[in-house]
Amino acid sequence: MPRLTIDGQEVNVEPGTTVIQAAEKLGVYIPRYCYHPGLSIAGSCRMCLVDAENSPKLQIACYTPAVEGMKIITNNEKVKQARRHMLEFLLTNHPLDCPVCDQSGECDLQNFYMEYGRYESRFLEDKIKKKKATPLGPHVVLDQERCILCSRCTRFTEEISRSHELGIFNRGNRSLVDLHPGKTLDNPYSGNVIDICPVGALTEREFRFKCRVWYLASQPSVCTGCSRGCNVWIHFNASQRSYKNQGRRIQRLKPRFNPHVNQWWMCDEGRFGFEFIDQNRIEFPHLRQGSRLQPVDWEEALQTVVRATRSALDKFGPESVGVIASAMQSNEELYLVKKLFGDGLGVSNIGHSNPAEREGFSDDFLVRGDKNPNRAGAEALDLTASVDSILEKATHGDIKVLWVFHHELPPQALEGAQYVVFMGSNWNRTTESAQAVLAGVTHAEKDGTFSNFEGRIQHFQQAVPPLEESRNDVGVLLDLARRLDCPLDLQDAGDVFRQWCGKSLRELEPFGELLTAAAV
Amino acid sequence: MSSNFQFTPENLEEYQDILRRYPVKRAALLPTLHLVQAQHGFVPAEAEQFVADLLDLPVVDVREVLTFYSLFHRREMGRHHIRVCMSLSCWLRGAGRLKRHLGEKLRVESGGVSADGQFSWEAVPDCMGACEIAPMLQLDKDYYGNLGNQDVDQLLEGFNGPPGDPELE
Amino acid sequence: MPTANLVSKHFGNEKARELDWYRAQGGYEAARRALFEMQPEEITEEVIKSNLRGLGGAGFPTGRKWTFVPKESGKPNYLTVNADEAEPGTFKDKYIMTWDPHRLIEGIIVCCYAVGIHTAYVYIRGEYVRPYERLRDAIRQAYQGGVLGEKVLGKDFKLDVFIHRGAGAYICGEETGLLESLEGKKGWPRLKPPFPAVVGLFDCPTVINNVETISHLPNIILNGGEWFAELGADRSGGSRLFCLSGHVKRPGVYELTMGSPMSELIYEHGGGILDDRQLKAVIPGGSSAPVLTADCVDLSLDFDSLAKAGSMLGSGGVMVLSDSVCMVKALSVVSHFYAHESCGQCTPCREGTGWLDRILMRILEGDGRRQDLDTLLSIAEYMQGTSICALSDAAALPVQSFVTKFRSEFEYHIQHKSCDVENPEPALAL
Repeated sequence: MPRLTIDGQEVNVEPGTTVIQAAEKLGVYIPRYCYHPGLSIAGSCRMCLVDAENSPKLQIACYTPAVEGMKIITNNEKVKQARRHMLEFLLTNHPLDCPVCDQSGECDLQNFYMEYGRYESRFLEDKIKKKKATPLGPHVVLDQERCILCSRCTRFTEEISRSHELGIFNRGNRSLVDLHPGKTLDNPYSGNVIDICPVGALTEREFRFKCRVWYLASQPSVCTGCSRGCNVWIHFNASQRSYKNQGRRIQRLKPRFNPHVNQWWMCDEGRFGFEFIDQNRIEFPHLRQGSRLQPVDWEEALQTVVRATRSALDKFGPESVGVIASAMQSNEELYLVKKLFGDGLGVSNIGHSNPAEREGFSDDFLVRGDKNPNRAGAEALDLTASVDSILEKATHGDIKVLWVFHHELPPQALEGAQYVVFMGSNWNRTTESAQAVLAGVTHAEKDGTFSNFEGRIQHFQQAVPPLEESRNDVGVLLDLARRLDCPLDLQDAGDVFRQWCGKSLRELEPFGELLTAAAV
Repeated sequence: MSSNFQFTPENLEEYQDILRRYPVKRAALLPTLHLVQAQHGFVPAEAEQFVADLLDLPVVDVREVLTFYSLFHRREMGRHHIRVCMSLSCWLRGAGRLKRHLGEKLRVESGGVSADGQFSWEAVPDCMGACEIAPMLQLDKDYYGNLGNQDVDQLLEGFNGPPGDPELE
Repeated sequence: MPTANLVSKHFGNEKARELDWYRAQGGYEAARRALFEMQPEEITEEVIKSNLRGLGGAGFPTGRKWTFVPKESGKPNYLTVNADEAEPGTFKDKYIMTWDPHRLIEGIIVCCYAVGIHTAYVYIRGEYVRPYERLRDAIRQAYQGGVLGEKVLGKDFKLDVFIHRGAGAYICGEETGLLESLEGKKGWPRLKPPFPAVVGLFDCPTVINNVETISHLPNIILNGGEWFAELGADRSGGSRLFCLSGHVKRPGVYELTMGSPMSELIYEHGGGILDDRQLKAVIPGGSSAPVLTADCVDLSLDFDSLAKAGSMLGSGGVMVLSDSVCMVKALSVVSHFYAHESCGQCTPCREGTGWLDRILMRILEGDGRRQDLDTLLSIAEYMQGTSICALSDAAALPVQSFVTKFRSEFEYHIQHKSCDVENPEPALAL
């Protein structure tokens, strides 16, 4: 284990560690453009120059191996001057169009300029003209003038997506990033180049001009697009600016590093698949009156569904109630479904899979064919009664009251069912067959955990409040438990998790824990 | 993906011979592009896909290489191509005059093709390695040096036929 | 006797291109001796003793370079001969390949046998079509004559030599840019270490030597390393080809022993300054070498003497500038070249070369500012030692030396919007 000194602090690192990584271990952030931990080393932006004892030239921290006894200084005058000049070089041909650039506020040219630049411009020449605002594909737009040729994007399409769309053409200061003519940047991971572009060269078409990034707040979450469970940040409007963007609160998702799950990346399907959070939402509980669903208040809705359930139980016993839980639900919700309906009410017809669902697109990188974020959780909780048989019993009248969580079931599957209670966040075809619709929330509006395909329990946190009158499922289930006379002494998802796993959500490892390892 | 460009049978054989020189297929890229240019006069866009398919390369890699090197043409040039050396030694001996004269003579600026399609020319900033005969130019395969304006005129007049093969000085 | 004809002996003699003639003159005797009478280590030892240094420009001791190749890497070793001769002012390798290609092939055999190499590539710049054809023909003869191929000169030693043509990129003369280019990529230089001797062509150990360097090997084998070393100066063995160009009466390639005086090259061989004008400046080692003022004629032409004088022997390209030259314009020509040839990979080089070029053009257009000279020097300062390869330094050094040594001419230009010399050559409107 080499031991070295960085800015006077000693640190031990694994052999093969570079200086930039060793510094990070000490909390010393060395500025960089081309370096990205998920990509090969380019060593070309020359921003991460540091002073190494006994070396006359400054060294690039991204490529210099940390070796025993090494003494590195990252912040002396020599280093700062060099960085300032590297920035000056980078900005000579940069258009400085920050006022109209989407990257403003999260741009490393701006950030490092404020930290190391702050010089009077000496560049009096005309800047080189290149292509601006060029769509590359469905999600990415390119501005070649803003590009600093760090090659992160070309290395991404070569090494990670292996789709080989982007290249750097020409040479010298005529170099530019581009596609081969006639090609598009359209691969399942194209959005990642936006994240790794340190400047405003590659920006997001969906997000473009929608919102200044300083109006955004972020919360750690987990993508619900498939059973991979990529760790994400939800970026949402921090202030009340709902008059913008048709009232959409969630602006974008960004991948959040998890070495075991998604590293630095996420797929486009997940990244751009968050519109359901702000669209087509069930904002109030509804009860069917005649042929129509009418909004009602929660008290009336809950009284009604409790009465129906209680009546079935009293008259026909627990076999007359069925529950189709969902692998879209959190572990905590599923745990409560099991506690309430199974343990509390003695219902055995509790399943979770949707017979209409087919395996979706998958690949050998991140995307899983199973599009449910919590299949492993539902299976671990043993909510595995046959849904086909539950539906059959419902259509034959053996099951009098059927609870359906989140699923969009084929309409004919519910034909003949006497009383369907739907709880979920979005309108779908199943709500059309329901007598009662309880307005649930999306993962962006609640706390909880999902267990991904390999059984890794991962914590997601509430980003925005529930929409209108919609309610957190955990709260609703606890309320129902009280009303159905099997009260659970729990307040929220955190309590449920503690009871389930024997520890608080805070104690869960930041990169998640495997179900088998957690005290389930 | 299909491409309209094809090698002639002789060049296909030549290409097979090129492949045998390298343990890695990709190494044949530059020679293969040279071969395309020798056959076609320049490297047309459709040939990029052709070469990419031949060498199992992403076409973007072919474009990167093609645009990096200055000897590859990507559009039709004159029947004869002239490169005038603008490097220091040639400049010291009158490359500026040579350049102006050639532009006037061919009635087209550097980078252009003469109206009759006979000549294309460019003034190149890189030294061509013939400073001892400065000022000089390369016409097709050959170097011509110590050029006064009259020498240039004579040279161009002699080029209605195929290129000659004079010795190096 | 400072003139020499170790590698220039056959220049101008068309017969030397023929294998039979070359052999009749004792050609391939050195290769035979190396293969049949010497152990590979002995060859390397002789080359180390000879003080032969890399004649492409860097001047690294050749024998030592060979010893960096690991003994048993389990991979094949390669030789790449650098024939990308593109340093402005340099044209010597062209002569070797054109007139004496068998000497190069013989040197390749010696090197490959010494290092344990069975495949050699000659990377020749794309513009050199005729030299390529000469070398290609000589290699064909060599295969037909049993000099190359399965059994080199009858010895159980296989050697293939291939030529790889470049396509117009100065950066491919840089060792690792060359390797990238040979592998079918853009000539973007690689991060070092690892050095090519350990991880080079196709990730295998690779020796990279210049054409002239390799061509000296036959004589070293025939006459011994000590003999070669004694011909030259202190730590620069033997002789080398000097490429004399610019304002001299007889520009050309001259082979002189290392340590010969600059004055001899310019005045005796070159016949003095063109039009009998005054000498103003000399760029002694290709355009990357810092410019020297007229008093440099007293210097000796060897690696150490020129380094001591603040310049470098480099590629042996000696460019002579008479007092008719406007140094602002001359520097603009040089800087424009580097801006054109920067590969674009590293920030300081990509942006710095272009910036220097445009400032100089602006000064020439009559729009110079007083602060421009300080800006030029500051840009040049931060272009040095900050990039992956030396092109950035090579572009900065001329700027630094021109502006420092001829500052008054630059100031005059900025102030008067014209040259400080009479009847200057016009600037290149590039």
